Amino acid sequence: MKDNNSSRRKFLKLGLAAGATALIGGGGKVLSAVSNPGQASGETGEKVKLLSPDGTLVEVDKGHCHACPATGKEARQGIPNKKMVMVIDLARCRNARKCLEGCQSMHHLPPKIEWIKFFLLRDSKDTSPYWFPKPCFQCNNPPCVKVCPVGATFKRTDGIVLIDNDRCIGCKFCMAACPYSSRVFNWGSPDQEPLPADKKYSPETSWPQKVGTVGKCDFCPDMVRQGKLPSCVTSCPNGVYFYGDKNEDTVTNGTETVRFSEIVQQRAAYRYMEELGTEPGVYYLPPVNRLFDYKVGFQDLKPEEIQLYKKEANLSE
Amino acid sequence: MEYNSKTYKNYETFKPQLESIGRYGYFFITAMVMIIAWGTYALYTQLSKGQVVTGMRDYVIWGIYDANFIFFIGISYAGALISGILHLLRVEWRHPILRMAETITVISTLIGPSYIFLSMGRLERVWHLFVYGRIQSPIVWDVIAISTYLIGSFIFLYLACVRDLAFMRDHPIGIGRWRNRIYKFMSANYRDTPKQRELLNQLIDLISIVIIPLAILVHSVLAWIFGMTLRPGWHSTIFAPYFVLAAVYSGTGVLILVMFVFRKIYHLEAVITKNHFNYLGILLMILGALYGYFTFSEYLTNWYGSVKWDMEVLYRLFDASTYWWWFFFSAFIGVLLPIGLIAMPRLRNINTIVFAALIAVTALWVKRYLIIIPTLETPLLPLHDLRPEFASYSPSWVEWSLTAMGIAIWLLLFFLFSKFLPIVPVVRVPVSEERDYFKLRKLARERILRRLISKTRKEKNVVVGIVILMILSSSLVCRAQDPVKSRLKLEFLNKSGTRMLTTKLTSKKDDQTIPLQGMQVSFFIQGEKDKVLLGKESTDEAGKATFTLPGKLDVPRNKEGKYSYSATYEGSKEFQPSESSTEIRDVFMKITFSQKDSSKLINLFAVEINQKGDSIPIEGSTVIFYVPRTFSSLKIGEQAVKSGHADLDFPVTLPGDSAGNLPVVAKFEDNDNYGSAEVSATMAWGKPLPPDVIIKRGLGDTNAPLWMVYTLIVLLSLVWFHFTYAIITIFRIRWLGNKALKEEQAQIGSK
Ligand code: SF4
Ligand code: SF4
Repeated sequence: MKDNNSSRRKFLKLGLAAGATALIGGGGKVLSAVSNPGQASGETGEKVKLLSPDGTLVEVDKGHCHACPATGKEARQGIPNKKMVMVIDLARCRNARKCLEGCQSMHHLPPKIEWIKFFLLRDSKDTSPYWFPKPCFQCNNPPCVKVCPVGATFKRTDGIVLIDNDRCIGCKFCMAACPYSSRVFNWGSPDQEPLPADKKYSPETSWPQKVGTVGKCDFCPDMVRQGKLPSCVTSCPNGVYFYGDKNEDTVTNGTETVRFSEIVQQRAAYRYMEELGTEPGVYYLPPVNRLFDYKVGFQDLKPEEIQLYKKEANLSE
Repeated sequence: MEYNSKTYKNYETFKPQLESIGRYGYFFITAMVMIIAWGTYALYTQLSKGQVVTGMRDYVIWGIYDANFIFFIGISYAGALISGILHLLRVEWRHPILRMAETITVISTLIGPSYIFLSMGRLERVWHLFVYGRIQSPIVWDVIAISTYLIGSFIFLYLACVRDLAFMRDHPIGIGRWRNRIYKFMSANYRDTPKQRELLNQLIDLISIVIIPLAILVHSVLAWIFGMTLRPGWHSTIFAPYFVLAAVYSGTGVLILVMFVFRKIYHLEAVITKNHFNYLGILLMILGALYGYFTFSEYLTNWYGSVKWDMEVLYRLFDASTYWWWFFFSAFIGVLLPIGLIAMPRLRNINTIVFAALIAVTALWVKRYLIIIPTLETPLLPLHDLRPEFASYSPSWVEWSLTAMGIAIWLLLFFLFSKFLPIVPVVRVPVSEERDYFKLRKLARERILRRLISKTRKEKNVVVGIVILMILSSSLVCRAQDPVKSRLKLEFLNKSGTRMLTTKLTSKKDDQTIPLQGMQVSFFIQGEKDKVLLGKESTDEAGKATFTLPGKLDVPRNKEGKYSYSATYEGSKEFQPSESSTEIRDVFMKITFSQKDSSKLINLFAVEINQKGDSIPIEGSTVIFYVPRTFSSLKIGEQAVKSGHADLDFPVTLPGDSAGNLPVVAKFEDNDNYGSAEVSATMAWGKPLPPDVIIKRGLGDTNAPLWMVYTLIVLLSLVWFHFTYAIITIFRIRWLGNKALKEEQAQIGSK
């Protein structure tokens, strides 16, 4: 029984479900005695799920979690054995822009800095327009990374392209190279909520942004490390964004969890302007059987903006 | 050392220029210094406020700084290519114009790159280029190429000046005597001994050969900064030769202008003759034709192919409301007018040639503007921005001021140089001169100083913070009202035998459900008579509080075999109390795996516990099978449990870990009797995950492809071999001169 107890503690600490069957089976009892794990000093008793450096999911005490976002070399390497992907369902988007709001609040960005952009695309004059939310595509052959003179923007093994705002010299070459206009520049002071003194800058949080350097959607690796979904995914009221690990063949929008391979195959997913050879990590599901008419997306817009969208989509009225 | 009468005659022309600055000279210097001072203020503004003060924004990320950059590097071709080629071809008439050409090269190569720094957001991090430089980036190619080019041009200019420096050393000037010491030092003891002459001539030949490919490379690399991107109008294979050609064209134009100006102000009609203008004019015409040919070929191809974005850029260039008149000037006037003026003998004279050159040079600046801006205004996705300054580019006063400053420095340096050494080589054979190396250092030091001055701004943050605090506290005050309703929801979880009670505490505000954080929730179990307190937990930011039940509960089960749990929230000033309860029957679940023929199965065994504690197989309830994933659980199937058993095919197509280990979970979800009860087990039947492939070398990776490294090493060592050789030989010339001098003195002594 002693043995059982110690392994039980380990189980609680690590949340590894595997040990549990052995525990119950081995104990031979239907219900086993589980005591509250002792609370060592510095522990809050609250657990957070984290990815350990070797890529397995562990649960640690919140008190030990200062190092959640990786810094330095680890931040450049990526989370092992992961390959983050996103699937965006265009049939559900109505330009609600809640994802942008979520993104801005989670990255402590002022409204003027927009990392997700919204387009009203129309492929030809005979087809109908559709809303097209666009984060950074985290290209697998990223033109932006190729051209950076100082390696301030880099591609990680988990597929994420990040920017090190401490290293960036602000040459903007990556902005010229990105064919998808995914990058924005901090022309002046970013006017951002300052970083609390006990936190350190990490490319994984992209906080704080620094004047004279580049910023963009970072796929929230710090959230992934905690086993949490990026804020755009959870703030979308229509479940447009599916996010997940291609290595697990699973993506989720917070409420639905589906197999990545199934959804992209069955719904004929495509990657935007794939012909450029950038191999984006974001897949789009074509806007068929839509939930909303595209005009719904005009609801909260200023008249000038509606005008601009109509011009871009070649809409007459 | 002896000089012939022609040399002295030449020198007579220049002596007054060297010895006095003149009224106009002072006026000119003052004007330039004023422009530079104004530019410095603009620079200070940009450094302290960031690039918001420029007209550049997220779409048009590069502006006239970069146009200036290409422009200056372009005109630097005057010296490198023209004088290099003229020298190698031993063209007789080159002598009077060589030094001007080479001075243009050196000064422009100094000014040009500073614009790249201006267009950088983080000037103070330039050193990152040396610490973290990646040779996959065309910008690094540029840094390497331009710095090498600058050194090369400097050596070239210096070599061509040695003879004149020696002459000046032998004929000290009366005013501004400090210069005599510089002449002496710089002249490298050149005494025109046969050996020295041979070495010097050989060196000049050598460096003019090296400088030509180097110059071509510099501009090609510059063109590749644009060519390597996927932008319409930039992603073109002919960009490198196109840029090179445009550069020679503008370089020749500037050379003609410089010749004209110095001829006028220093009265050099006898030295720089009409013929010079004629020859260079014809060269300009040929280059203009070639440049026109490239332009035509580029736009024709784009127009014919009519790819969507190429067409958009073309529309911009041909639309009168955007760039048509600029484009018309640069591509039509800038080519046809110079050709027309020079081609017709009746029109060709010094004035028309100079006018043609002026047109060509301006047209080429406009051309650089048109290369950069219309393309950037045509992103592949629509340029969607309501802010007018983001939607299109117009240079701000800061950019114009700094452009003016660059031109002013250029002119001033040129003028000062012409006061230091005759602008036309005095000693006929080749040439001679010097550029102040220390000025470079001084410029750098000044730049650092200016940067240090521009560090402030913190107060603003404090003010913003105080305002936020005030708003926050006022909103707290406003909230002191009647307590609002709270809602508590209790759920039972059984995770692989660990039983937990979890609650979610929320409240409604403006029709929105908000979680209550930091509230105490008490957990109870129904005993024989009273409720027994199990424990207390406080809620987290999601409003959740979880209590883990002890393994053994000292209360009896009720008749249905259930335990009755409840949770209460006592309420506070703001929120009313609330409670919630649930009755749960314990279950025991276990997963095993079995393989029959080719089918791999997950077998669930599930029993419930009755009042007496006996296990009874579950009948009928639905169990759902999941695979836990990073963010959520992937459902793989559901089954009704029959006499305690439920089977499901193992999801063999799902990837597991590197060994194929795949955990599966069987779960009763929100079951009326069991709450949420789940069990999990892992089996190595998933698809094994291949390990991460870490590519070490590649364009997008940390290290460059090997061929790139080798090419760079070979190219650099070739060039630097020659440079080093040149430098060593200069010292050798110096040493030879010393020896010659000593021998001479010994001879005189012995006589
Ligand atoms: S979308 Fe643009 S910024 Fe993002 S990875 Fe691709 S090229 Fe880079
Ligand atoms: S702007 Fe920064 S991240 Fe982009 S290429 Fe330049 S140094 Fe790299």
